[in-house]
Amino acid sequence: MKEQSAAEKSVPVIELRHVDKHFGDLHVLRDINLTVEKGEVLVVIGPSGSGKSTMCRTINRLETIDSGEILIEGEPLPQEGAELTRMRAELGMVFQQFNLFAHMTILDNVTLGPREVLGVPRDEAERRAMELLERVGVAEQAQKVPAQLSGGQQQRAAIARSLAMRPKAMMFDEPTSALDPEMINEVLDVMVELAREGMTMVVVTHEMNFARRVADRVVFMADGQIVEEGAPDEFFDHPRTQRARDFLDSIKGH
Amino acid sequence: MGLTELLGTYGQNYLNGLLTTWSLTAVSFVFVMVLAVAVTVMRVSPFAPLRVVGDLYVQVFRNIPGVALLIIIAYALPDLNVVLDWRTCVIVTTILMGSAFGSENFMSGINTIGVGQIEAARSIGLSFGQILRRIVIPQALRTTVLPMTNLLIAVMLTTALGSQVPLSPQELTGVVSYVNTRATGGILAFLVSAVGYVGTALVISLAGNRIDRRVRILR
Repeated sequence: MKEQSAAEKSVPVIELRHVDKHFGDLHVLRDINLTVEKGEVLVVIGPSGSGKSTMCRTINRLETIDSGEILIEGEPLPQEGAELTRMRAELGMVFQQFNLFAHMTILDNVTLGPREVLGVPRDEAERRAMELLERVGVAEQAQKVPAQLSGGQQQRAAIARSLAMRPKAMMFDEPTSALDPEMINEVLDVMVELAREGMTMVVVTHEMNFARRVADRVVFMADGQIVEEGAPDEFFDHPRTQRARDFLDSIKGH
Repeated sequence: MGLTELLGTYGQNYLNGLLTTWSLTAVSFVFVMVLAVAVTVMRVSPFAPLRVVGDLYVQVFRNIPGVALLIIIAYALPDLNVVLDWRTCVIVTTILMGSAFGSENFMSGINTIGVGQIEAARSIGLSFGQILRRIVIPQALRTTVLPMTNLLIAVMLTTALGSQVPLSPQELTGVVSYVNTRATGGILAFLVSAVGYVGTALVISLAGNRIDRRVRILR
């Protein structure tokens, strides 16, 4: 499914050009240049504080940038207002802390976006939501509220909530970092499945096995910069930079 | 004057007083909640001037003694050609004060929601208004049932300001003044009204606890 015509390939789903960002004195993103093609799975790794989460969050403007450009299917990411809202609806985001709406059932969490933003009628939204919940394996929990679910179940429901918007691409910001070890795989399995179906994905993670198995390309970040990028096998087996070698050594045994 | 005589002579006044207190309280509280939501929406809006106005509103009406506010509304506003009837003066005073405190309750409720849910809502494309309507306000309401129960009791007690103007019919505290200018009811005259206040407050807090248990958000 990854083969594409030259014409399609000419417009990446996501493109970052010379993106810079500071938090006060801290230079968190330094001249980030990145493209994500349709159907591509990009895994972003790096030590904590390297700017990888921040970069992920700039793509739907949960973080603003100081300079540079972000293009979604060739269109500049709007700064604010209704256009930004519309663009956000087209990009899915999965968070480390799940961030399900605490006062709603799982079903309502999944139908809220389609009903409010896309104007889908209730019964149609619910039918589609149940299909998605079935697919991520939490359909039996549809009538419960988030606090009644395990972390793994909540995260799978959160993925369904994003998918309900039929996004052009999905961003995952450390989706398994807040999970107990026995629940990590159930979430990763859903993500592997999504990748197989051809979803365009940007995944910030510490799960190196996942990166090796699923990524089309690995991006290694440190100190706000993209230090190295390449095919997963090449990166993991023959890292070119000392910084990447140090990082990979430090996480061995995980 | 004993209890039997007191109630025999003024029982009807006390009963009307209780009903008046209840109706002042009910009308005021409806507007307190509506205004508290409106002021809170201003205070969390992305538009800075609105935030300033909202904050100012709360600071002003939270920090003026009720009697002073009532005097301004009842006796100073007529100089600006704003003449309200006595009942309206009491209700407006109660609403202005109550909504300032109500907004503070909502703000603390909003602070429990956490930025993560807001970010999630933004990431599925909800607008500011939709986030308020579907995420923020429902959760703020459901997490502040107990403080709002307290506020309802405080609103009821604030309506005792009605004793400072010639209300007709009088509310519970006004009835005490009325009785004590006519007869030597003494402390007993106060106690009868107190029973009305305390009894109502007990019913309110029982109801509040039940509602809280039903709508509380699991976290």
